[in-house]
Amino acid sequence: MIAKLAWKNIWFKPLNTILSVILLTSSVAIITTLVLVEKQFEEKFSSNIDGVDLVMGAQGSPLQLILSSVYQVDSPTGNISYDSAKVWMQHPFVQKAIPLAFGDNYRGYKILGTTPDYLEKYGAKISEGKLFEKNFEVVIGSDIAKKLSLKIGDEFFGSHGDAAEGEVHDHYAYKVVGIAKPTGKVVDNLILCTIPSVWQMHGGHEEAENPAHGEEGHVHVEGEEHHEEVDMTLDEPGMEITAVLLKFRNKMGIVTWPRIIAQNTKMQVASPAIEVNRLFSLFGIGISALQYLAYGIMLISGISIFIALYNTLKERENEFALMRVNGAKRLQLLKVVMIESLLLCVVGFIFGTILGRVGLSMLSNSAEEDFKMSFNPYEFIWEKEGTLFLLTIFVGFIAALIPAVKAYNLNISKTLANA
Amino acid sequence: MISTKNITFSYSKDQVFHMPDLYCEAGSTLLITGDSGKGKTTYLHILAGLLKPKTGAIEIDKTDIVTLSEKATDKFRGKHIGVVFQKSHFIGALSVLENLEMASWLATGKKHTKRAKKLLEQLGIENQASKLPSQLSIGQQQRVSIARALMNEPKVLLADEPTSSLDDKNAEKVIELLTSLSKEHKAALLIVTHDNRIKERFINKITLI
Repeated sequence: MIAKLAWKNIWFKPLNTILSVILLTSSVAIITTLVLVEKQFEEKFSSNIDGVDLVMGAQGSPLQLILSSVYQVDSPTGNISYDSAKVWMQHPFVQKAIPLAFGDNYRGYKILGTTPDYLEKYGAKISEGKLFEKNFEVVIGSDIAKKLSLKIGDEFFGSHGDAAEGEVHDHYAYKVVGIAKPTGKVVDNLILCTIPSVWQMHGGHEEAENPAHGEEGHVHVEGEEHHEEVDMTLDEPGMEITAVLLKFRNKMGIVTWPRIIAQNTKMQVASPAIEVNRLFSLFGIGISALQYLAYGIMLISGISIFIALYNTLKERENEFALMRVNGAKRLQLLKVVMIESLLLCVVGFIFGTILGRVGLSMLSNSAEEDFKMSFNPYEFIWEKEGTLFLLTIFVGFIAALIPAVKAYNLNISKTLANA
Repeated sequence: MISTKNITFSYSKDQVFHMPDLYCEAGSTLLITGDSGKGKTTYLHILAGLLKPKTGAIEIDKTDIVTLSEKATDKFRGKHIGVVFQKSHFIGALSVLENLEMASWLATGKKHTKRAKKLLEQLGIENQASKLPSQLSIGQQQRVSIARALMNEPKVLLADEPTSSLDDKNAEKVIELLTSLSKEHKAALLIVTHDNRIKERFINKITLI
């Protein structure tokens, strides 16, 4: 009954209520979205650098190198010579080196030449079909399989570069031989093939100065049938790759290599951990600014609830006195005021949580288009959202405190005599 | 029935009200009159347990309410005392019927919807049950107050200037309803008033000096 009365009281003054709910909703929505984005963003970024200590690539911006080679969101810094990279890849400090060669895309999805180690690093098992072995065989990420509805045995032509509108390479068709299991990492949105496939695809025009490559292109038809041919092409001299993901056996290398390589070669190595931290701290400023804004709005909504309750208290003194005459206890009046405020907060929180998720799914759609990165709006971060809920309730409690105590201490006789 | 003995009350040290003793049988009516400032409303509030007297005893149905704690007084008042005020106050957000139900629920924990509907019928306003109190005329509002005061079948019905804001016709009707219903429900009816229109109607009178 008390709760029902509180509920009816809320809607008896709809404008006050709507103002408070809107303010609460927007602040909760902003915070929810930020919490989800921040967590999922960091998760995505951090999970992708697992097992990568350093990235070796062409000189340029280290952040760009990391973004392009680990996250596949930026264009590469340039190419490096595979021969000189190999010297470092075979260094005893190195536990695992995964070479990457970028070439083409298919409808905006990058085609990446690499070794099976790459799939292993991301824990992407093959769910259907098999690993790529021969040139132009590809394993596609699970998201691509779903979005482009590609199946095992399908063939397609790649477009040059990373723009979907690029020149179409129609000498060779890629053939889907495997589909990887979903991992939630970048590999879900990649098309993977052998490195020689990339070389061979570009053999005709791009690296025309390289005769070996041209020959490779010509012998391709036979090459496809022989494993030795494929293995041999990886040992092809004078070829270029884009980057190498390095995992170290000896942690000394992580510290010393950036300087050694910068001094001795035309390459650079960058640490994903450092670059990503740099990126986060850049985002962090924006995120905390938005967070302060959201908490500010929450404070204002608390004040708005307080003012609404306080203002109506004067009008409702008679109502409260009457309830006391009818046998209501002081505590019941306190409860009515408290519950009204808390109900507002709960309603605001529920709307905010929903609105935040609607916002996130819209954000996710646009991020999907631009960065092939999606957010999951249905995830609940109990710890943080629970804290947010408690905070909202706390705001309601504080806002109602003075009006509720005033209702509790109401002098019935005086109120009724003056009425 | 209700009886009082040696009630005194003071807001401050210099001014002490001596309230006359009174006695009212169940089903009968007692009028308390007096000029403004003589403490009519104060007396009514004391009788309703809203104010604690300095000395004296108020016995309602063999319970001395002066000795009860505040909480117990609230409870006792809800169950055994019905009050009708000069100006009707309602819970604005609740409908007429819900107001009656709330009065019953606060006192007993039960809604007693049937009794509420029956009372509204007796008072001739059953078709207003789902309206908000503010949508009713003043005369109708006063009738709802009477219904609410009778909701918990009180032993004592206190009315504070129940007719002063009403026109002759409505005043007549309200007094009529108060007396007949208090008889029917076997409640002692105490009316505090300075309204000359109703003074002649009653034999039992106490005047505060």
